[in-house]
Amino acid sequence: MVMIMEGEKETRRTPILLTVVILAMLIMSLIALFIAIRSSLTRRTIEIEADIVNIILSVSALSLSVYLLLQMRRRTMALGLDKTRVVTVIKCASCGYGSTREFEKGDYVLREVGQCPRCNGTLLIHSIFRESKQEGKKEKF
Amino acid sequence: MSLEALSLNIQQGNLQDNVGWIFQAIWLLAFIIIWIYGQRIQTILMLKEIEGSLYRLKAMRDRGRQIAISTIREIGKPSEDPTPRVDRLLEHVDIEPVGLDPTGIIRRLEHIISVREFKLKDEVRRMAPQADEVQLNNLTNVLEVALALNQIYKVVRHYYLMGKKTLSFYIILQIQMLLPLIMKESEAFVNALRAFTLGQPIGDGVGALVAARLMYGREKRLIAHDTVVSEVDIDGRKAYVIKAKGPGGNVGKPGEAIKQILEEKEGRVALIIIVDAAQKLEGERSGEVVEGVGAAIGGPGVDKYKVEEVAAKYNVPLSAILIKEDVDDVISTMRKEIIDGVEEAINRIKRLIHENTKEGDTVIIAGVGNTIGIAQ
Repeated sequence: MVMIMEGEKETRRTPILLTVVILAMLIMSLIALFIAIRSSLTRRTIEIEADIVNIILSVSALSLSVYLLLQMRRRTMALGLDKTRVVTVIKCASCGYGSTREFEKGDYVLREVGQCPRCNGTLLIHSIFRESKQEGKKEKF
Repeated sequence: MSLEALSLNIQQGNLQDNVGWIFQAIWLLAFIIIWIYGQRIQTILMLKEIEGSLYRLKAMRDRGRQIAISTIREIGKPSEDPTPRVDRLLEHVDIEPVGLDPTGIIRRLEHIISVREFKLKDEVRRMAPQADEVQLNNLTNVLEVALALNQIYKVVRHYYLMGKKTLSFYIILQIQMLLPLIMKESEAFVNALRAFTLGQPIGDGVGALVAARLMYGREKRLIAHDTVVSEVDIDGRKAYVIKAKGPGGNVGKPGEAIKQILEEKEGRVALIIIVDAAQKLEGERSGEVVEGVGAAIGGPGVDKYKVEEVAAKYNVPLSAILIKEDVDDVISTMRKEIIDGVEEAINRIKRLIHENTKEGDTVIIAGVGNTIGIAQ
């Protein structure tokens, strides 16, 4: 069973079955931890090793279930919409003077956008590109 | 072992042996279940995986539709609600020409493509009466993307439902194996929506960008539908530089343009160079420039066929310059690495012309690809 909540920016998908399983695991690990602590307080020193193992296992299960719950909260359904910065590079056709700014609606390559402050030549949009996310990542092969 | 004997054993303190026996039984049972129902369990797990992807595809399809409608409303200022017309267009189908008799199939395919283009643009014009020619082309591209997302969603849904109905392992396996590629392609389409809506240059337009840089400042004329040509002097050779007419999103008719120039010059052309974007293999660098021979024109094959035909007729060598990019980059806003490849491609063109032709020769340079966001 799945719940879909569609927002303006992103869509979240919460699997109900998985939530129930994780919550059950969380409750069981809490009970196990409680029992292990209680028995370790009432027993004699000879059985303390078994109690320590029980406590470690319960704490591990508890941490795992809390981690899974947090992961589920963060898990949103990405639609592939990259929020990358798009840059417009402006250059002078005569002297090569250049500047960079954010992309504006209506920009296109080779559009005249004014006069060069250095030589009064024509300023053109030289290129429009998006900045890459994965730079400097080197593959083995 | 009888129940009485079992209880006696427990009473006698043989609990450890019995626990071992129970565990063995559980293991055996699990083994039998997996042996008999293993494939079915796997099928159900695969169906779950497809279901998850299908939800994402549905959200992407809805986003595409929503963006198409809102862009038409914003740019076109229609007097009536464009939603029913958009919904009708999203269900549009193209029927390929019959292949039983392959004679003239390219001509028939070209006709169908032309009719489709005309029909789509006409529909957009009706929906967005206030849009200018550039906006009209961009809106057509947005609708094409929304249509592609709808088609992908419907095909995946078809296999999912069919697999669920029949529980056929092999039907489900087919779609599950292709799912990573399908999702990658769909994400690229979703990213393309933004580029097409804002009119930003896309990776596919790198060939057009090379041509635009070469022809900037020269006189241009329309040589074929939505295609311009300019005469440029390169190293003492006369180069006819061809590209689709920008900055609206269209690919023009590069095949027809090359054919017309060759016919005009009666084949007296020393070299044809086609610049296009090419899909890189994993491990290759984006923006890497490679050379080859042949007609580097993608799409359904009409333009490629025309170039091959006319080049073979007049025995003109065909060179290709390809700029490598990822499948995601082809329809997304152009990346910096691809822009860097443009200068390298221009240098390669000059070197090819210098090495393979002599002064006074005529060459044709065609920058192929969608020219959205790139003027000339």
